[in-house]
Amino acid sequence: MGAGPGLRLVPSDGPGDVDGLLVRVSRGDRAAFEELYDTLSSSVYGLARRVVRDPTRAEDVTQEVFLEVWRKASRFDAGRGKAKTWVMTIAHRRAVDAVRRSESQRRQDHHGAPDDVSFDEPGDRVIRAEEHGAVRECLETLTDLQLESVRLAYFNGYTYGEVATLLDRPLPTIKTRMRDGLIRLRDCLEGAR
Amino acid sequence: MSTDVHTLSGAYAVDALDPREAAEFEEHLEQCHACREEVAELQHAAALMGAAEAAAAPAALRSRVLDEVERAPQLPPRVASLPSDPVTVPGSVVPLRRRLPARGLLAAAAAVVALAIGGVLVSDTMRDDGVPLAGGVVQVFEADDARSVTVDTSNGGKVRVALSAAEGQMAVDTAQLPDLGPRQVYQLWTVVGDIAQPAGVLDDPKTGASMGLPAEGTKVAITIEPMGGSERPTSAPIVTVDPADV
Ligand SMILES: [Zn+2]
Repeated sequence: MGAGPGLRLVPSDGPGDVDGLLVRVSRGDRAAFEELYDTLSSSVYGLARRVVRDPTRAEDVTQEVFLEVWRKASRFDAGRGKAKTWVMTIAHRRAVDAVRRSESQRRQDHHGAPDDVSFDEPGDRVIRAEEHGAVRECLETLTDLQLESVRLAYFNGYTYGEVATLLDRPLPTIKTRMRDGLIRLRDCLEGAR
Repeated sequence: MSTDVHTLSGAYAVDALDPREAAEFEEHLEQCHACREEVAELQHAAALMGAAEAAAAPAALRSRVLDEVERAPQLPPRVASLPSDPVTVPGSVVPLRRRLPARGLLAAAAAVVALAIGGVLVSDTMRDDGVPLAGGVVQVFEADDARSVTVDTSNGGKVRVALSAAEGQMAVDTAQLPDLGPRQVYQLWTVVGDIAQPAGVLDDPKTGASMGLPAEGTKVAITIEPMGGSERPTSAPIVTVDPADV
């Protein structure tokens, strides 16, 4: 890609990049897989850590995710979305599975209550500041109930039934708030581009 | 799913449905273009939210992942129907050990080679992309000359096995095998005498597989292996099928 020898660009994950890499990965191209790993590992690991909350287990989840990406690369359908979304969807599913497997432990650790959601953990983040800033700003356009529903599901791994119980709201309300919240996030992020 | 099934798209996009509801909604997705599109968009928005949590992964993880991938076969691309000749799938070649029995059974050797080169066509039912079970497995079960048998496995499941001489194929329906969770997989082997050759990894209990008709004297076994599969069995088979008995 654009970088000269010995020079590594911060992964730009422009739309073409990851998609092209994944196509090469599907043909067994290990160099492309390494590049894909370097481009997406911080996103996958960061999400896994956020959801499973334990760095060691987040590593296991990340490993499972990339193995699945390698194995199933040929099943990626570019007509259905971006490669990065495909990978992050696998990552989320794996992370949530891990959390649900050790539900009792999580309940113990967190007393069944949602954590404060912090968007500003400093330190080792390799981030593309503008994009992440846009996510944060767009999340602020959600109503409290939309935001709470989306966060509890996405970052804590709760089912919408569990979210309804936690927030003491009827099931259909949570179901629609979750959808409305994501739609609002989608629309706002589209506008931000 | 009493009221409006379409509104489950949001919960589905953030994996907030229980497994039964998720399966039902995936069935709906097959029929509903609007929901497919909306789910894709909402998953994209969710993915951006997830990516905003990026944190550098520990350096040691990189080599662990690359090492593991070095040993892991890839699923072949999904094909609409199974050609009668083996398909060469780059990157999924199963290494053939040079220890074929010296029984002069050229046919057996040829079949194992074909299988080794062609790999096993694994078709998972609508997991990621909603494409229903690919032709291969169904085709074998539905062949006019198909013979099939259902066998109990030692871990409390069942597999259906079908053979079709006309198709030159054998198919395994593994939908009734217990779910193994994310750390283990079912792996198929061809067994001649006490030599087992890896024939394919099944990612999902819903998955079926089809392969070239094993030669006489070749049995097919299924074991439970660590994620990604193994080069040789690490546990006793949960079931062994002699095609001659089907
Ligand atoms: Zn619909």
